[in-house]
Amino acid sequence: MEAYALALSSYWMIYALLTLGLLMQFGFVGLINFGHVGFLAIGAYVYTITAMAGVPVALAALLACAAAGLSALPIGAITSRLRGDYLAIVTLGFSEIVRIFISGEQWLTNGVQGIAGVPHPFASLDVKWQPHGFLATLVLVVGVAMLLASRLMASPYGRLVQAIRDNEEAARALGKDPRRPRVQMLVIGAVLAGAAGVAYAPYISFIGPEQFAPLVTFYVWIAMLLGGTKKLTGALIGSAGLVLILEGSRLMRDMISGISEVQMTSARMAIIGLAIVLFTLMRPSGVKTS
Amino acid sequence: MDLVSFVTLVMNGVVEGTIVALAALAITLVFAEARFMNAMVGDLMTTSAYMVIGGQKLLSLGLVASIAGSLVLSPLLALAVWALVFVRLEKANRTACLLASLGLAFLIRGILTFFVGFDQHVIPAPLLRAIDIGGVLVNPIDIALAAVATVAILLVFGLLKWTPVGRRMRAVADDIDLARASGINVRTVNITLWSMVGLLAAVAGIVLGMKTVVSAEMGWDMMLPAFAAAILGGLGNPIGAVAGGILLGVAQELSSPIVGSIYKISISFVVLFIALVFRPNGLLGTSVGVR
Repeated sequence: MEAYALALSSYWMIYALLTLGLLMQFGFVGLINFGHVGFLAIGAYVYTITAMAGVPVALAALLACAAAGLSALPIGAITSRLRGDYLAIVTLGFSEIVRIFISGEQWLTNGVQGIAGVPHPFASLDVKWQPHGFLATLVLVVGVAMLLASRLMASPYGRLVQAIRDNEEAARALGKDPRRPRVQMLVIGAVLAGAAGVAYAPYISFIGPEQFAPLVTFYVWIAMLLGGTKKLTGALIGSAGLVLILEGSRLMRDMISGISEVQMTSARMAIIGLAIVLFTLMRPSGVKTS
Repeated sequence: MDLVSFVTLVMNGVVEGTIVALAALAITLVFAEARFMNAMVGDLMTTSAYMVIGGQKLLSLGLVASIAGSLVLSPLLALAVWALVFVRLEKANRTACLLASLGLAFLIRGILTFFVGFDQHVIPAPLLRAIDIGGVLVNPIDIALAAVATVAILLVFGLLKWTPVGRRMRAVADDIDLARASGINVRTVNITLWSMVGLLAAVAGIVLGMKTVVSAEMGWDMMLPAFAAAILGGLGNPIGAVAGGILLGVAQELSSPIVGSIYKISISFVVLFIALVFRPNGLLGTSVGVR
């Protein structure tokens, strides 16, 4: 039971990081990122590959976050001058390309077979205490990220970012260029997703391209919409709600006989889809951007 | 690459390009009339292809009857989706509509795969001997499929150009408020629009399913090329979408011997990127509503 609680809490923290990244992009600048899972995948794979090549785990984690952030740069640079839905399509395409790349480059990623035995960051610890150390670090990371995010949003820069979201024309009239903050926030969100990937890979200990399907991006969207897009704490609440939905659907399957694991995957996809549709129907104003 | 294999690749590319063109046309029409990017076209395609499989396997109908059934049911499904969801989002912004269309894509695929699973299916088409034209082997089925796709595209263009409802659609695409003020019934326009979307998706899904195999992600996998084609042609521009689709189909086929078939689809992404850098309003430069 304790092991289960530890694992579930870690799972929650991983989704909290992802949701925080998306929230900073969408809630604060109005960026529509439909490719969050691509940055998660880059974080997970760069961490795993470098750590398995003998790079110290702390350095591997940093490299992974940097790679995720860097990959967002060209996307942001190209789409920052276009309307928001172009970013949506480009990021969605990006996350699919990442998945194709992972499947295609077998020499690097072992292709569709995936990589088993992802190095655990606390391998030196006693096995009994590894989950504790893992969760404690994750809580610390989420806490620091939340703190930094709230400081950033209260700063003059944060107010500029929110002004751009609320009224781009007014911000422009005041001589503020909306493009730079857009690119910067896209990169920051991608770094957070990369950090989530660093945690996700050892948490699940096996990574393969199938785990990084576009649906995961929309898990995070549901978490963000559930928690509300106006406050940073929404990321914690929303991701808790999401983890309950995902875990609950898994427990449900154990109770209802006659539904295969594959069918459960389909049912989960339908439920997430329906939730998105219902959310837009009931609160279309909750989904607004420039 | 010798000339024969070059011509073969271009031929294949044109056939695949017409499928991309159908999907891109559906996307661009929704953008022109309702001003949002519709991400559910792909899963409508998949559903239409499975309707044919269902007609044949569950109802033991013939191929023609199954296809006819799919061509009727798919527009009805698109109309139902419009009446249940998009009609309520007319006042909402395009982000909400785009998000809703993605949710619908997942909802449709989730329900579909819950019942039919993830196995691949084949639509049995009559086997014909390939015709040899100066060394280039041409499959008559491919020609027939491309012809069907072309007819569907021409029908849409004819409807837009020569019918009263087509004229109204063009008026709404130009300026919806002005169209309303001039007494155009936007409801009729929307009903026509979503029937067309369903029909285009059905033709695209069935043609793709007959050319390759029917699988749960076949339509979703067409979304990247289709969006790239629609943006390349200028969102909201039907002729641009079709031209972009055929261009992309050929580009994908020509690149596959060089980059490998697994990376074929990433050509769309590269094209999308280049288009957004140099011609964000599309090659023809007539995209609507771009800031």
